[in-house]
Amino acid sequence: MAFARKLRRGLLALAAALGVLLWLAALVLFSQVAENSDDFARLQDWILAINSIGITVLVLLIVVNLARLIRDYRRHVPGTRLKARMVTMLIMLAVTPLLGVYIFSVEFITRGIDNWFSVDVEQGLGNALELSQRALDLQKRENLTEAERIGARLAAVNPEDIVAELGRLRRESEARDLTIFGPNNRILATSSAEPGTSAASYLSEEVLFQIRQGQPYVSLEPRSGGEFDIVAVVALPTPVVTAEPEILQAVFPVEQRLSALASQVQASYNQYAELSYLRTALKYSFTLTLSLVLLVSLLASVYGAFSSARRLVGPIQQLMHGTRAVARGDFATRLPIAARDEIGFLINSFNDMTQRLAKASQEARLSQQQVESERKKLEVILARLSTGVVSLEPDLRIRTANAAASTILGVDLEQHVGTSLVELADTQPLLSQFLAVSSKHLQRGDTEWREQIVLRGEVGRRVLMCACTALPGDADSEGGYVVVFDDITALIQAQREAAWGEVARRLAHEIKNPLTPIQLSAERLRRRYLKIDSPDNDLLDRATHTIIQQVEAMKEMVNAFSEYARTPAMDVTVFDLNELISEVSHLYEHQDRPLAITLSLAPDLPPLRADAGRMRQVLHNLLRNALEAMEHQTDARVEISTRTVGREDAQLVEIKVADNGPGFSSDIAHQAFDPYVTSKPKGTGLGLAIVKKLVEEHGGHITARNREQGGAEISILMPVSTEAGDAATPRRRDHRRERA
Amino acid sequence: MPSTANSRSGGPCAFRFPFRPPWRALALLLALWAGGAAAQEEDPGHFEVRSASVELRNGVYFLNARIEYRLSAESRQALESGVPLTIRIDVELVHGRRFWFDNEEATLRQRYQLEYHALSERYLVLNLNSREQTSFPTLFSALNYLGRIDNLPLIDAALLDSDRDYDVRIRAVLDVEQFPGPLRLIAFWRRDWSIASEWYRWPLPGS
Repeated sequence: MAFARKLRRGLLALAAALGVLLWLAALVLFSQVAENSDDFARLQDWILAINSIGITVLVLLIVVNLARLIRDYRRHVPGTRLKARMVTMLIMLAVTPLLGVYIFSVEFITRGIDNWFSVDVEQGLGNALELSQRALDLQKRENLTEAERIGARLAAVNPEDIVAELGRLRRESEARDLTIFGPNNRILATSSAEPGTSAASYLSEEVLFQIRQGQPYVSLEPRSGGEFDIVAVVALPTPVVTAEPEILQAVFPVEQRLSALASQVQASYNQYAELSYLRTALKYSFTLTLSLVLLVSLLASVYGAFSSARRLVGPIQQLMHGTRAVARGDFATRLPIAARDEIGFLINSFNDMTQRLAKASQEARLSQQQVESERKKLEVILARLSTGVVSLEPDLRIRTANAAASTILGVDLEQHVGTSLVELADTQPLLSQFLAVSSKHLQRGDTEWREQIVLRGEVGRRVLMCACTALPGDADSEGGYVVVFDDITALIQAQREAAWGEVARRLAHEIKNPLTPIQLSAERLRRRYLKIDSPDNDLLDRATHTIIQQVEAMKEMVNAFSEYARTPAMDVTVFDLNELISEVSHLYEHQDRPLAITLSLAPDLPPLRADAGRMRQVLHNLLRNALEAMEHQTDARVEISTRTVGREDAQLVEIKVADNGPGFSSDIAHQAFDPYVTSKPKGTGLGLAIVKKLVEEHGGHITARNREQGGAEISILMPVSTEAGDAATPRRRDHRRERA
Repeated sequence: MPSTANSRSGGPCAFRFPFRPPWRALALLLALWAGGAAAQEEDPGHFEVRSASVELRNGVYFLNARIEYRLSAESRQALESGVPLTIRIDVELVHGRRFWFDNEEATLRQRYQLEYHALSERYLVLNLNSREQTSFPTLFSALNYLGRIDNLPLIDAALLDSDRDYDVRIRAVLDVEQFPGPLRLIAFWRRDWSIASEWYRWPLPGS
């Protein structure tokens, strides 16, 4: 990848260098136009082609770049303004001196060329030429006179001797050629010093015309090799050879020194005239060359401006992109380091910064996650906690509350987060009692207090141990309070039960023992004294009977107590609860009293693993309890239902026994399961206490409530297996739910 | 040499510092550009082959032609300023092909240099092929001389394929490439400088 880029860059540089070299070579050749080189003729097309291609390529590149710049500018691509400003600046910087140099050069060259051609030189050369012409004219006149003299002499010569005479005259007169022309340019006779190099083999029209006009003709004729001949043509006064008019042409060579000088003057004059004439063209070609150089340089510098602006702005654009990315929160941005200059340093610093930011944000996220997980853990702990925890704002709005708090106070506090406790207390009797105690302390400004609160509810008394602590506030928020409370009703109950157990054992031990001797004594009294016919017989009979009766009752009571206190070993078996219920209820249906027992038993009830005997006793006690409560009712009805309460950790079986009797009176409802608490005319007051004890021995849970349509309902939750039921939490939770 | 005046463009502007827009250069360029067109309308040069024929004598083809030369004012001025003009006569023997470019069988290029000799005030015609030089007192007679081609040996008949038909074509051209450099550059830009006649074409008579 990097190699390919390097290769491409190298090739581009090579192409650019080649282009520049070609262009320079073309310009060098171009500048040689003035030197009249033949190479130029051959290369002219190439040179122009190279320059044209170069200009086209540059123009294309510039157009593309400009279009891109304009497009970016319209799209508000970051960095474009800077780029545009840079391009303008660079172009101005490059163009101004270029134009200056161009103007200077063109002016200088035009003026310089004009200055080369001075009037002096031209005039001098003109004069030199004229001088030469005058010198030659002199000779021309002499030669013409000579030719005329020869013509006069030829008039007296015989036609036979004409050739010899011509030769003689030629030698005398230093002429090179003497020729006599007849009509129609016919050569009649000739004599030449250099035969074969005859200057003219015929007379031109101009010569003939002049001769016909009666004028002699003389002219200077340049020969190849820079020499000159003077040709003089005269009409012969009398025809020599024929009868027709004849013409003599005499060719005289110009003296060599004069010839050379004249030739030189002619050459110089010619050269100067040519140069003078070409002056315009020369200026034109120089101007053209310069313009071409200027154009290519201008275009190259414009392109260079684009290119360097791009190279300069590129890293800055990258930085801008990077900064934006960082602003958006993308700390993973890393910029490639373009160069080892200040911008490179900047980019390096930027990369360093983003790296640190990324690290910092990573750490922040981690610690946040940690805090979050801690909070979740705490939430779980709070949720699982049987202790109610409520945190309050300073104005008693609920900040947080756990499930236990909701259960204890009988309000779903979690739904009312943000609501003031005072508002909420208006509709909730338990909460209002709780608040009454709390606000007393808060108003007093207690930061930390502890108190046992007794809440009186519909179902029963609830004893709470409540502790409150003011939270430390910080700059952002005030402290508020955290209230922690525990439902210690069950604890107090257990303590009471334990006390009762102790009482029962004592009673059994201390009371039962003297009862038997009392009974035996009373029976002996009867046996001994009742046979004797005595007036007090009747009294004795009644008294002893009462004693025996009462002792028997007392014994029964003590037995019941000892039953309550006794904890025999559990005989755990697996049995069908439904079957047991049917069996027990069957017994009660056949008694003399009318009792309608309705069974609604869940068919899919799992087999229960418990002490069947105790369960049977539980059912007996409950049914008997119901019966006794509805002693005077004619429409006594008992409904027994079972169902499975599924939960993930332990399966529970619920048994509900409901009657249509008078229900619990509200003053004893909260202690229905306490020993000796009864509203019935008969009964020891131990029935439900024993039921509770038996159920709790199995890890089950019992609750009692009054039904809305009248009558009492007792529900028992039993774990399917006794061991599973030992798990405290679900039992506790169910316990709360039932009460709510 | 007396130094009465040092510049032909006027004394005071001998050396003014030249940071001035190059109006003169631009004007010059413009004038050259526009001037070309104007000159062409004014007195355009014209070359024309009036007649031409070929005759076979002793197995050799000889060319006879009459060409009319009229130089443009520009070229006349150049000539009188001492710039030699080169006139080239292209004679080609072509074999016409039906569906393709004509095939050149033989080419003869006859070149003449026309020059004005200021000292003698005569026009010199130099045959560049034979280096033969002739002088004329007037341009008219020089061009007249150039316009007469008599008995120019063209090609040996034995070299030609007797089964084929050949055409001869001839034209006269003012050879721009022989111009001195700067003028050549102008001639490159201004096509009116290069004067050329149309091709004059006729079939080669059979042997």
